[in-house]
This record gives sequence, C-alpha cells and structure tokens, in this order.
Amino acid sequence: MKPKLPGGLNLQRLLPFASLIVLFAGLSIATPNFLTETNLSSVIRQTAVINIMALGMTMIIIAGGIDLSVGSILAFGGLMGTMALEKGQPIVVGVAVGIVAGMFWGFINGLLTTRLKINPFIVTLGTLGIVRGITLIVSNGLPVHNIPQSFSYLGEGILGGVPFVLWILLVCAGAVHVLLEHTKLGRYAFAIGSNPDAAYYAGIPVAFHTISVYAIGGALTGLAGMIEASRLMTGQPTAGQGYELQAIAAVVIGGGSLRGGEGTVVGTLIGAFIMGLLSNGSDLLGISPYLQQAIIGAVIILAVTVDELRKRRT
Amino acid sequence: MLLRLKGIEKRFGGLTALRNGNLTVNAGEVHLLMGENGAGKSTLMKIVAGLLQPDGGTFEWKGQPVAFSRPADAAALGIAMVHQESLLAPHLSVAENIFLGREQSFWVKRREVVARAAKLIEEHRFPLNAEWRVDRLSPAGKQLVEICRAISQGSSLLIFDEPTSSLSDAETAEVFKIVRTLKARGMGVIYITHRLDELRSVGDQVTVLRDGATVHTSPMAELTTDQLIRHMVGRELSALYARTPVAPGEVVLSIDQLCVPPLLKKISLNVRAGEIVGLAGLVGAGRTELCRAIFGVDRCASGRILINGKEQRLRSPQDAAAAGIALIPEDRQRTGLATARPIGENTNLASLDKVSRYGLVDQAAADRVTTDFIARLRIRAESPQQRAGRLSGGNQQKVVIAKWLARGARVFLFDEPTRGIDVGAKAEVFEVMDELARQGAAILMVSSELPELLQIADRILVMRAGVLTGELARGATQEQVMRLAAFHDARPEAAQAGSAA
Repeated sequence: MKPKLPGGLNLQRLLPFASLIVLFAGLSIATPNFLTETNLSSVIRQTAVINIMALGMTMIIIAGGIDLSVGSILAFGGLMGTMALEKGQPIVVGVAVGIVAGMFWGFINGLLTTRLKINPFIVTLGTLGIVRGITLIVSNGLPVHNIPQSFSYLGEGILGGVPFVLWILLVCAGAVHVLLEHTKLGRYAFAIGSNPDAAYYAGIPVAFHTISVYAIGGALTGLAGMIEASRLMTGQPTAGQGYELQAIAAVVIGGGSLRGGEGTVVGTLIGAFIMGLLSNGSDLLGISPYLQQAIIGAVIILAVTVDELRKRRT
Repeated sequence: MLLRLKGIEKRFGGLTALRNGNLTVNAGEVHLLMGENGAGKSTLMKIVAGLLQPDGGTFEWKGQPVAFSRPADAAALGIAMVHQESLLAPHLSVAENIFLGREQSFWVKRREVVARAAKLIEEHRFPLNAEWRVDRLSPAGKQLVEICRAISQGSSLLIFDEPTSSLSDAETAEVFKIVRTLKARGMGVIYITHRLDELRSVGDQVTVLRDGATVHTSPMAELTTDQLIRHMVGRELSALYARTPVAPGEVVLSIDQLCVPPLLKKISLNVRAGEIVGLAGLVGAGRTELCRAIFGVDRCASGRILINGKEQRLRSPQDAAAAGIALIPEDRQRTGLATARPIGENTNLASLDKVSRYGLVDQAAADRVTTDFIARLRIRAESPQQRAGRLSGGNQQKVVIAKWLARGARVFLFDEPTRGIDVGAKAEVFEVMDELARQGAAILMVSSELPELLQIADRILVMRAGVLTGELARGATQEQVMRLAAFHDARPEAAQAGSAA
C-alpha cells in the first residue's frame, strides 16, 4: 500500500478501475437490459455477499495470511443466525448471532496459525472441512426454513432507492478502509505481512494482531452468511461452497499480494465488481455459464500478471 | 560507562560461539569490534541487542546488571542495532518504519507520523523523504531508516553490524559522517567491520575477538595494522589435514576475464587436474558468486569458461552438470540436498539417466550405486532409506559429493564445505577431497576457515570486492592472506554492488 502522495497515482495503478469502467460501458452498449434498475440491483445483491467476505479476506491477505474456510464459515454463521430466528429471537439478535459465530471461527483460525505456527493455508484447509462438517451435523443436513418474513429485508430490501445491502457493503468497506489505513491494527497488519521479522523486532504483538485480523474476517463472513440466508430465506448448511476462491480472487484482482503487505479496500471492491459484471454480462449476452467460468479464470491470471509486471518495474 | 560485558558465553547445541566475550563501551565513543568470520562478533552483538540470550557471564548496562528476553527490552533501555540485512517492512513508508511498534494510540494519525519523521530527517540532514516507500530505497537508504529508528527511540548505544559491506564508497562516507555526528552527541557506537583501513578515522577503541573470546582491547591509535591482523588470526594451525602430494596434470577448469554483474570483475584463473585451489576472501568478496557463475546459476556478462580447453556455454546448472562441473553449495540443507528424501534418492538425483532404461528407473541399479557410495565415502547411515536430513552435517556433505561422483563430475566447486560440521567430519570431508584430487579431479574450494584452507589447498587465490587481488603458493601465512583479503590498497571497484536501486 502506497501512502497517498501527490503524484502517487499512476496509470497502471488505475488499471483495474479503468477495466471496470470499460466493462460497464461496454455492457451498457452491448445489451439493452444491462443499464436497468432491476439488473443493476441484482448485480449489487449478487456481488454483496462475496464483496463483504472479500473485505475481511483483504485484511487477512495484507497480514500475510489466507483463509480458505470462509465458505464454510459463511454457512455456519448463516445457520446459527437463522436458528436463533427460528427460536423466536428478534432479527437484530439473529444477525448478531451470525456475526459472532463467524468471528469465533476466525478467532480459531488465527489462534491455530499463531500458536501451532502452521501455515494458514493448511490450517484453514483443515477448518474448511471441520466447520462444514459441524454445520452439517448441527443442522442434520437440513436447511432452516422457519424464518420471519421480515428477515428478507436484509438481503432483498430497498433503502433510499438502492438495495439495502449496498448500504451495508458501503459501511463495511468504509470501516475496513479506516481500520486498515488509520488504526494501529491496520498498520500492523501491513507491517506483519510485509516483513514478519521486522514486525517482531519492532516489538509488535504479532500473534494478537494476526488473530484479530482473522477474527474480523470471520465476523464479516458471518454477516455475509446472514445476507445469503436472507436472500435464500433459508439457513442452508451447504451454502457458500467455493466462495472462498471468489473472495480471494476479488482481493487479488484488486492488487492484493498473496505474499502479504499489499492490498486495498477500493481494489477489492473493484475486483469483486469486475467478477460480478463479467458473470452478469455473460448471462445477458447469452454466453454459456460453462464458458463464463473459463473467462473469469482467465481474467484472474491476466489481472495478476499485469500487477506483477507493474511491481517488477518499480 | 554505558556497557560492560564480562565473560559472556553462548552455545548453539554442541557448538560454542562465545566462550569469553568481554567488551566495555563508553558514551561518546566509537568502538570497533574486529575478528575473523565466525569469531563471535555478531553473536556478541545479538546478545547486546536482546536477540539472543547469553548462557553465562555478566552483562551490565550503565552499571546495572540486566537481562533481555526480547529485542524490545534492549530498545527500551536505549540499545539499538542497525542490521546487516535490514529489518524493515518494505511496503510501508519511511515514516511508518521509523516509528513502527511505538504507535501511541489505536488511531494512527498518518500526517503526524510523517511530520515527526520529516522533522527528525531534517534535523540530521539525511537524504531521505519521510513519505517514500522503503522498498524503493537503496541499501544505504534503508540503513538510514534504521538509524533514524534508533535515534528516535532515544538510544544511547547504537550497534552497526558491518553496515558498509553492501554500500558504495559515497554511501560509506555518508554513514561515517553520521557516525561522527552521533558520537559528538554523546552516543556510544559499536561498529563491526572488516574494513579497518577506512575506519581509523572514526574508531576510538578497538576490541578483537578470536574463536569466541576477546583477545585484545586498546585505543585504536596504539595499534598498527600488522598487530591487529596478528590478534585476529593468531592461532596455532592444527595438523589435522594432510594432503597426498599429486603432480598436477592438465588444466581442466580455465576461466578467462569473467565478469558477472554486479560484483565480479575480470576474474581469470586455472585449476589443473589433481589440484585443490583455495579461494579466500571475506564475506561479500564474491567467492560464492564466482561458484554460482561457473555452475551456470548466474549469467556472465563477458568472459569465457573452458573445460579441458573447450569453451562452454553454461546457461544453467543443467549445462554445467553436463560439462562435468559439480557444486557442493554453502547452504547444504537448502540447495544441496532433498532433505526429506532418502539418501538413495539424493545420490542418484543428478545421474538418474544412468540407472534408467526407457525412462524407468532401475531401482536395483540405483540401490547398488547408493550402497557403493555409502561404503566408498564411509557415510554413516542407518540404511540407504534414511532421510538425508537426519544425517550429521559431515555425512550430509558426503551425500552431496556422492551425488556428483555418481554423475561423473570432473570439476568440483566446494563452497564452505566444512561450515557447521565438527572436526572429525571435517577431516573426513578433506579426505574425500584429497581422494578426488588423486583421481584427477580439479577442485576449487571456498572457505572462510583460513587455517584449513592453508593446509588443504595447493595454492590460494584471494578475492576482495569482486576482483582477484592475489595468488599465494602453498606455505603462505594467514597474515599474507588477510592482507590481500581485507587491506588491499588498490581498490577502485570497492563494493559497487548495492549502490543501485
């Protein structure tokens, strides 16, 4: 992350943003159905879940970690929250339960990586299975259906003319941005991801901050789980499979580095929307969903290649 | 008086790094810490900075006994270290790195941090900008950031661990100027270096370490360079390593005007069959780089490498291995062995073609090769299936040698072959080298252990800052080698490496 300097903007840094604009403009021209309120709202709703998870993933990746278990955590959080609603708890409490449930697993991930000193890729590959398994056991493999109708507002509601989830996304994005750029926690996340030895020798409590970052990531995933549950109006124990890869892809397309020390909230938002638009645009243009997957895969490689080239030059 | 160390001891497993470290540093004094590679200078300084804990001895700071368990403890009392390899977060700004770990509140006011850093930089007139990202800085710039860090912590003792080894002359001058300023402000400075010639102007006191013990302490002015070298190397040579006399044969390896940017310049040398040529020099002189270049790891800009009189195009280790060159690397564990795999797989790794038919490995043939080498090189292993990483250092080294013998290599590049192995295993490694020489191999051996090199090598080439500074015949003294390695006068190319970026 570059401090915001006068002249600190360069053309290549803006490339993901430019791609998003071009994609947007291109789709507006190519298909009449793209630039409609219904379609744009639907893109926002579809992207919001991945986007909110990706915000947490941004912090984790900046701190030099990774979390492969977010898909499972999403299902666990959604299930816990909807189960609370089923028991007659108010919606606010249900959502809070989902967030805390997600946070718990993020905390466990952080604890395992820092205490056992095992590579986070392995730790979260393990918890990916563990959390999914527990979710299926708790739910007995069955979705939670008995949810108050008003809960659908979270994922499908409209506030001020735009989907309610957009507001949630903006608040989360703003909070994560401020956390990363203007608080000790965020700056330490960059320092730890940038050079863990330097962070340790500077007297930074590395384990504490690493765990915090994973826990925040988990909390955001729990929230995403509740939004997903609200959109489906069920608590699905099988929800979120494969979402971890989409969240990681969003961070990476947005300039995050899997080696740690780099990444931005704005970049991640752009990354997530690029993927959302590609998939929405392909649908509208009638491109086969099979080919869509290949296109998105190619875009990930392209984006990272361009970013690497930029970095190598400086 | 700031610091007093008495009888400091430090062991790593069975290895004694320090047995009697003594050092006294006063405020307003630049104290040079000298010694050969491995004498214990860095270990002693790491203890002072709280990176290592001593196993014995007394450590007093401003008259009080202290014990540090973490670097932050030392920093809190005003001891800071400028590391050889910079310990900075490359993605953060200069300002953030200066104050890293010392943020006061949860909220970080970036502008304030930058302003404070800018003020500090201004005060000392450092050529830095508080907002620059650290990964864009030159090595000298990174050291300045570490110096700023130390000053901002209110440190009263600053340790420099070979700060100029990666700096250009201009940058070195800059660092010296800063050291003088710090001294004038009443700070104590400990300066580890090999480049004494440049330091007479800054150094007040000097302490010499040898084999983990302080052997001399005096004001710098009272000591001649000759005396200093004698203190550094003055030990008896052990008569452990004998060579079988071999009449050298034809030139096998010939290097002609080899240049490998950024360090190596116009290296020319010959190694004959049956000859062991020693390559001496200080850390950073370019000895490892030369081995890497011959082995095709680093690309040569100009010059020629000939094997048996034929020019070779060595663009990869694959080419080098095909040309009959073997590298026994310095870092055995990382680049010499597949430590998680059995000995048998390691010995056959470079020569699988020889034991394969139609692309399938003939396991029986491969096992025969392994058993043969285990017997020939006296590798002490439980079985050929034992994991290579579980062997002792000396036996690991033999497995690496076996790998290349199996391939039929004729030119052997040994990079620090005895590092980290005990005396008995050293003697065995030398026996193997001696036998290779007898069988007509050409051997180039890099070693920082001068006594060993003097005994095992038929002649010694000395490098300094990427150039060959001289050749010494068998029977040379350590003083002669040290003079060429460290105090060579004509050094126009001095360490231009690292001045880029």
